[in-house]
Amino acid sequence: MFKGNNKSWILFFAAVFIICIGAFLLLSNGSIGTVAIIRVDGEVYKKIDLDTVTVAYDIEIKNEYGYNKIHVDKGSICVAESDCQDQICVKQGEITDDGVPIICMPHRVTIEIEGDKIDA
Amino acid sequence: MPKTRKLALMAMLTAASLIVFIIEAQIPPLVPIQGVKLGLANMITLVAMLILGRKEAGAILLMRIIMGSMYAGGFSGFMFSIAGGVLAYAVMCLTVKLFPEKLLWVVSILGAIAHNVGQLTVSVFVTGTPSILVYAPVLIASGIITGVFTGLGAMFIVRALKHKGSNQNRF
Repeated sequence: MFKGNNKSWILFFAAVFIICIGAFLLLSNGSIGTVAIIRVDGEVYKKIDLDTVTVAYDIEIKNEYGYNKIHVDKGSICVAESDCQDQICVKQGEITDDGVPIICMPHRVTIEIEGDKIDA
Repeated sequence: MPKTRKLALMAMLTAASLIVFIIEAQIPPLVPIQGVKLGLANMITLVAMLILGRKEAGAILLMRIIMGSMYAGGFSGFMFSIAGGVLAYAVMCLTVKLFPEKLLWVVSILGAIAHNVGQLTVSVFVTGTPSILVYAPVLIASGIITGVFTGLGAMFIVRALKHKGSNQNRF
């Protein structure tokens, strides 16, 4: 059905690739939020207003999948330690806005910051 | 192809994809983004589709997912594997006949994208965090890159099996 033209397909996927990267750069550029939501296994585990944090502290989450240590500071939050294999959540570092959430998929832990939306 | 030969070939391809899958699971992630991986085992699914058929490729894929999560990943891994695997398989089944063999890499890209979309969808449900959809464009982009490599890999394997060696008409 589709003709064997390598060139046009290469161009097509190159274009899609560039559009995707552009879209991600746009989407990940979040607006500053203050409320961090930690979810474990799909349920809200804790909501923290990062603006009211005066002394930085750690939260330890242990569940059937593993262990995460979350570091909470004024205006930012990150995963300090995790015993998961891929360490993606630790490498991601701290987040300060609602652009990209932190995910520790092996342990079903996510951290996102709620943007300054108009809450009803 | 005689039945015994077919069975032996399917068993061999299942074993090969399982080995590739387990080895890949040991490689630390190249990019610090959840869900970005090579998906080398998909090479075997594509090869099976071309030299055996779509039904046989589905059986090999299913066996690989079930046995793969026994060795690495567990039930959680199984859920992600099956969501990504089934969606990728469906897309490749529908498209493999539409493209000539030299455009197999296109089929592979479409499969890789479908795989990542499937896994991301499951992730949204499992984590209850819809904002992780922000990763969708990255996973589509990574599907394009990894799809090219696995697709070209599959093309080389199929060519080698079909045209090289003394048994020209084996497949």
